[in-house]
Amino acid sequence: MEPQSKRRKGSVYDTDSWIAYPVLSDEQSQDVELIEAFAAPILNKKETSRLVRELNGRYPLNGVQHIKRVRACKEKGTPHPLEILVCLKSDAPDMKVVSLDSLLPSDEVRHDGLGQPFVVKIPARSPLTRPQFELASKHWPTSFHEDKQVTVALRGELFSPPQKATMHMYMMSAVTAAKAAKDEGMEAVGAVVVNPVTEKIVAVGHDCRRDHPLHHAVMVCIDLVAQSQGGGCYTFDSHPGCQFISPRSSTDQNEPDAMKSSQPYICTGYDLYVTREPCVMCAMALVHSRIGRVFYGITSADGALGTKFKVHSQKDLNHHFEVYKGILGKQCEALNMSSGHITTECLEER
Amino acid sequence: MGTEEESKDASAASFCPSDEEIQKWMGTAFDMAKDALESGEVPVGCLMVYNDEVVGKGRNEVNETKNATRHAELVSLDQLMDWCHRSNLDVRSVCKQTALYVTVEPCIMCAAALRLLNIPVVVYGCRNERFGGCGSVLDVSSANLPQTGTTFKCVSGHRAEEAVEMLKTFYKQENPNAPKPKTRKE
Repeated sequence: MEPQSKRRKGSVYDTDSWIAYPVLSDEQSQDVELIEAFAAPILNKKETSRLVRELNGRYPLNGVQHIKRVRACKEKGTPHPLEILVCLKSDAPDMKVVSLDSLLPSDEVRHDGLGQPFVVKIPARSPLTRPQFELASKHWPTSFHEDKQVTVALRGELFSPPQKATMHMYMMSAVTAAKAAKDEGMEAVGAVVVNPVTEKIVAVGHDCRRDHPLHHAVMVCIDLVAQSQGGGCYTFDSHPGCQFISPRSSTDQNEPDAMKSSQPYICTGYDLYVTREPCVMCAMALVHSRIGRVFYGITSADGALGTKFKVHSQKDLNHHFEVYKGILGKQCEALNMSSGHITTECLEER
Repeated sequence: MGTEEESKDASAASFCPSDEEIQKWMGTAFDMAKDALESGEVPVGCLMVYNDEVVGKGRNEVNETKNATRHAELVSLDQLMDWCHRSNLDVRSVCKQTALYVTVEPCIMCAAALRLLNIPVVVYGCRNERFGGCGSVLDVSSANLPQTGTTFKCVSGHRAEEAVEMLKTFYKQENPNAPKPKTRKE
């Protein structure tokens, strides 16, 4: 990468200046929870497959199927290179002293080839992301069904440079709309709805809270999309920064029924670009509108797509969507500073 | 933004409809829901009452507007605002003295909208297990969201079973405007 000093003036508008990171669900982003279990060294390697079979019969790993029964010993040069998981602590019988006799009292599992048992901590849940898998594996080996897209997204590499250039352009439209709102004395928030298939902008809107306390940029855009489909219930004519673009008006012609079924339905399949993280009302409005994906610049204090709630991945709701943040972060951040508060750092970036 | 005036705050906190008022206004809300069901619309009745006067009355307008946010509550809020403008009254101070009566728990979006307008009390019939914003899916009504208006009090359970029955009847019919569902995760 080019060193900072060599960058041209105005390089903040390069797509290199921002990275889109996914906003994952709680399950995908939480720490690795551990539970206690008993393990024992395998003294005689030849007994391994029999031990696995017999232990699976006596102590099946119910609820922790992701756990591998056997692990290679961490320290090198130990006399016994393998260790086996005997059972979860919660499945073990009550005992005063931990011993093979108390753990495996019956004949179901012959003790041949097993060493003195000990307590280990193992991951309680199946890892969902590579970072979770790497943390979990430090404790005990687990299986992992990797979602490659999530792994790449977490590295900030999901979008190719041409894709980023397109995203950059859409978010610039949102930033321009935000500035129009600011010039009108309203909150500097802008949003753009895009059809990713045709790569066309469907609606551009900005905060209009002076007209209506609920006309946040996202709510404005949702109504503009409705207007593009012949619906809608407000007029934003007094705001040149709020526009909708009708899809090719082929609707007038006598279309076969097959075509009509592919008519747009609310925001299904559309992407939203918004300069800052939506509030609870706007986030849920996007669920109701069946938005495809949401891209935002910066987080907000009461944000509902990552900060206070993760409405996009909320269990029980009937529609979920992907969310990415950090798109044009600097430009979106700069919108929130009143002209009197622009720092020198910010001015240098211009 | 969003800080309350101390003087009005005290009255807002104590502002709560009497049992008699609940009976009366919820009766009207249920009548509206029944009418909606009979005309094949989402059976939700909703009204906003200020000073013993209905200042907003709404029904779900999602299908005709193609705007999925046109829930009965938001339609009623728009009417309340129009009423304020006609009566030359300040929306903010009217909202602080307005109760919302609705047959079903407001959804997450509507609950947030009610907070943003500082509505102090919401009386509702049954829970909304699919979208409820007053505790069923999320508790937006009492969550700590300092930038999202003020919390509101909920009075729930009035004629709940009746409200559920109406919803069940409605959802048995299909929404002809929705796209064909892809495999639903549930």
